[in-house]
Amino acid sequence: MKRKSVATAAAGIATLAVALATSTPAMGQGNPIRIGVDTPISGTYAPIGQQVKWGLELATKEINAAGGVMGRPLQLIYEDGEANPAVATQKAEKLFQVDKVDFLTGTVNSGATLAVGQVAERNHRLMATTVSFADSITGDKCSPNVYRVNAKAGQQSAALAAWLAKAKPKARVFFLGPDYEMGRSTVAAFKAAAEQKGATTVGEVFAPLGNKDYSPFFGQIRAARPDVLYTSVAGNDTVRLFTQLDEFGLLKNLQVVGASGTVTSQNMGAIEKAAEGFVTGVGYSPEIDTPANHKFVAAFRAAYKTPPDLYGADSYGVLYFYKAAVEKAGSTDTDKVRAAMADLVWATPQGSKTMRAGDHQAMQVMYTVKFTHGEFKIISEVPAAEAIGPDDCKRF
Amino acid sequence: MHGLLETLQFVYAPQVVNGLSIGVAVILMALGLTILFGLLDVINMAHGEFYALGAYLAVSLLAAGVDFWLCLLVVPLLMLPLGYVTERLLIQRVFNRKDRHVLTLLLTFGLGIVLEDAYRIVFGPNTVRVDSPISGAANVLGMYFPNYRLFVMGVGALIIALVWVVVFRTRLGAMVRAAAHDRQMASSLGVPVSRVYSGTFAFGVALAGLAGVLLAPIYSVFPTMGKDFILLAFTVVIVGGMGSIKGAVIAGLVLMQIQALASLYISPVWTEPLLFGVMVLVLMWRPQGLFGKLGNG
Amino acid sequence: MAEAGAVAAAVAHNEKEGERTLNRLALAFVALGLIFAAVAASSGDVFFFRLASEALIFGGLALSVDLLLGFAGMLSLGQALFFGLGAYVSALVLKNLLPSFWLAMGITLAVATVAGMVAAVISIRARGVYFALITFGLAQVVAKVVYNVPRLGASDGIIGIPSIRIHLGLFDIDAASPAGFFLFCLGFMMLLYAACVYLMRSPAGRVLAAIRSNEDRVPFLGYPVGLAKVLAFVLAADVAALSGALYPMLRGFVSPELLYFEVSGNAVITAIIGGAGTLIGPLYGSVLIVGLRSVIGSYTSHHLIVIGSLFMLAVVFFPQGLIGFIARRREQRRLRRVAVVP
Repeated sequence: MKRKSVATAAAGIATLAVALATSTPAMGQGNPIRIGVDTPISGTYAPIGQQVKWGLELATKEINAAGGVMGRPLQLIYEDGEANPAVATQKAEKLFQVDKVDFLTGTVNSGATLAVGQVAERNHRLMATTVSFADSITGDKCSPNVYRVNAKAGQQSAALAAWLAKAKPKARVFFLGPDYEMGRSTVAAFKAAAEQKGATTVGEVFAPLGNKDYSPFFGQIRAARPDVLYTSVAGNDTVRLFTQLDEFGLLKNLQVVGASGTVTSQNMGAIEKAAEGFVTGVGYSPEIDTPANHKFVAAFRAAYKTPPDLYGADSYGVLYFYKAAVEKAGSTDTDKVRAAMADLVWATPQGSKTMRAGDHQAMQVMYTVKFTHGEFKIISEVPAAEAIGPDDCKRF
Repeated sequence: MHGLLETLQFVYAPQVVNGLSIGVAVILMALGLTILFGLLDVINMAHGEFYALGAYLAVSLLAAGVDFWLCLLVVPLLMLPLGYVTERLLIQRVFNRKDRHVLTLLLTFGLGIVLEDAYRIVFGPNTVRVDSPISGAANVLGMYFPNYRLFVMGVGALIIALVWVVVFRTRLGAMVRAAAHDRQMASSLGVPVSRVYSGTFAFGVALAGLAGVLLAPIYSVFPTMGKDFILLAFTVVIVGGMGSIKGAVIAGLVLMQIQALASLYISPVWTEPLLFGVMVLVLMWRPQGLFGKLGNG
Repeated sequence: MAEAGAVAAAVAHNEKEGERTLNRLALAFVALGLIFAAVAASSGDVFFFRLASEALIFGGLALSVDLLLGFAGMLSLGQALFFGLGAYVSALVLKNLLPSFWLAMGITLAVATVAGMVAAVISIRARGVYFALITFGLAQVVAKVVYNVPRLGASDGIIGIPSIRIHLGLFDIDAASPAGFFLFCLGFMMLLYAACVYLMRSPAGRVLAAIRSNEDRVPFLGYPVGLAKVLAFVLAADVAALSGALYPMLRGFVSPELLYFEVSGNAVITAIIGGAGTLIGPLYGSVLIVGLRSVIGSYTSHHLIVIGSLFMLAVVFFPQGLIGFIARRREQRRLRRVAVVP
């Protein structure tokens, strides 16, 4: 699909006046519904942006082939947010003001989601994240214009803690997190959930983000003699941590568990055997055994030669969420769509989800998955209501 | 008494050994930087990107079935012509201008930006892991330490010694030092100054590449990996005295010990600001760093 | 003796002519800004107004880089430190204290002056590349601290900064109004520019130029080198911080990314491409770079290759940058004209 018409391409290079004249589209019946995708296409988070893009593209193709939304096709317009809030906000403003998008999605890191959410609010438009899992987005920093269709950190921790209590009762847990807001809050959430279910904390250490060498912490880990190691590092840091744990022979007799972003399709190829047996709580796995998911995974594989991960699946699902809301509202008007989104139930590859009206957080069945022979296998399930936790949003 | 011994053995000793191992890695990065500055007066901001290139070349060669040990030899050899051409095409153009320190710094800064983005296009954005060619770990006094890291420490020390011998004990090194010390004089004595400069730059680039291959199995490979060590390497070079090999080695070892031992008492996140503070104090005391420039031994 | 006097007079004359050319280019910048505003306002635009405001704000940062690089020959690789400081101080004042423009600017100026002096004490003794690397390290460390302090919003930054009204005596400007805030930024940046030009063309500014050409000789002329450099450094810190203070007024948030090396590096690129030593060049450069990034960013995810290559070309072939190049061309034409008349 072409991202821009030739007219707008020319306008970008030509004078401002021309750009302004061509970029004001006329709205009407049969015209496409425009979805802005403000996602990292370059930089460290580009691999996640790639899954987001694929998920959205696949859903758009299917929805348009089936007659669109209220007879109008969906049109995706991409901008590179670079996972930098300062860039992502500027791009979001372009999408809202120049491209006149009706809805926005695609933000990855929580800083960008929060800042772009504010742009959406000031432009009186709605947005949804399909990736960010910081609890604050639908907690103390919630916004009436921001929705989250993926599972937040709290839901993931709840699922993992429930599994741990059964698999390793009274476990001795050591925590190793990246030293920044997200890493610390993820560790705190899991710690609370696990301790409540009988686990003891034998130590915790926070390593700098982008840490080169974890071996200086291994002495502490060894001395604490834990039987479970929880970590919330991500991306390149995971590759290093697991490689070095393996190198130092620490993985023997140690169950490693962690955040859903710790081992993903972006880095599992690089970690290989070192991550064998790793367990995490997630909102999606390609393993989910339902006809809807089989169909989705097959279509995704056929189109992109790789299985979807949780980002791809939730980005696919967000368009069905928006479709359901617009059809219920009978309009793309912001206030009407917002009203329709309250407690909306919609179908996704991982089963039906409910958008909680109080904090705009999707409720869904949670899974724990184990990394075995290069793939995640589902090992347990937690019902939606048990994992969701209280509604901490006070703004609306 | 028993408790104290145990603390020494299980808490301090591993930390010291780890600090040593990281120190060698940082010195390997700092070595190329300090040589380029000492001999050419060039601050190479793209040094980290050349280090990444070395690692990526190793990944590509390994994928093509080349043995890791052969990579250690082949990659630096491949980097030599690359460094030579870079010096000819870029550095040479601004080398004779008045602000050459700043201009070469800016130029290599631009080059670093371009290279990093190019790696993303050519090699993809995802992390690649290189299997360690020596597996297993040694049990030294009850401490568990990976064999490959022991190997890297040994080879690192060997490389540092070799570089020192080449610069200070060979005819080639004498020519380079002469060209660095007094360009006109060296030229009139028949030293091909311009080619010596290009050759020296190529040597610095090859060193970065070699560090890339050696450290790839420990730190894995990705497009922005060049940024990893660069701040630490610059700190080491500044503290040691820009252009001093001895300074880089001593500063590298001392600073990494400070970091390793400090991280027992303060959150590891604050060890980098701590090292920076040490650097500032050293500079206030001795603005040229601990040791002088290369030409002066 | 008379000959020497004539040469000196001719040099002074040429210098005056050069300054006049730069003055005209500054006026042209304002004129272009007003034309843009007229076109954009008549088509009801929002996005381009706000993008242009952002270009002006980052232009102020590049201006501060030029103050150091173009006049004192000091390359700062950490100017984002002061830009980010201004942004955070302004954001905290507006959100937690009082949504007042003047209060935010006043506190920012005070904090930046103190921070500038502290940073000057740390870095000013180092020369050349040492100075560059220390400023680089200083900014990295502060960015790391901000990234890890929960009270400053840590990695997420601070959102929810209220939109303000700027009281300007005779009338008010609503910072949320795209056209109003753009015109305000234009006026504000031109004031900063004029102040910098005034200071750099004053005798104190000439001392800096002397330091640039030969630092070791200046003390013999009876000027305190250290003091002149500290003043230049603090002035640059203030310019960067005041520009940064406008950022949360435009975007409504701040994040640690504003302190990152990318921002410092981008400011250096902007100053060089625009023309170091011209002061107006960095503002032109910022419009060019911000515009370019926005346009290229929509077509390729590899804008870094384009901007990095452009930068290397500028360093090698156009060391005077865009504005330096134009000014020199005009100068050559004028000299030819003078030469024809006997």
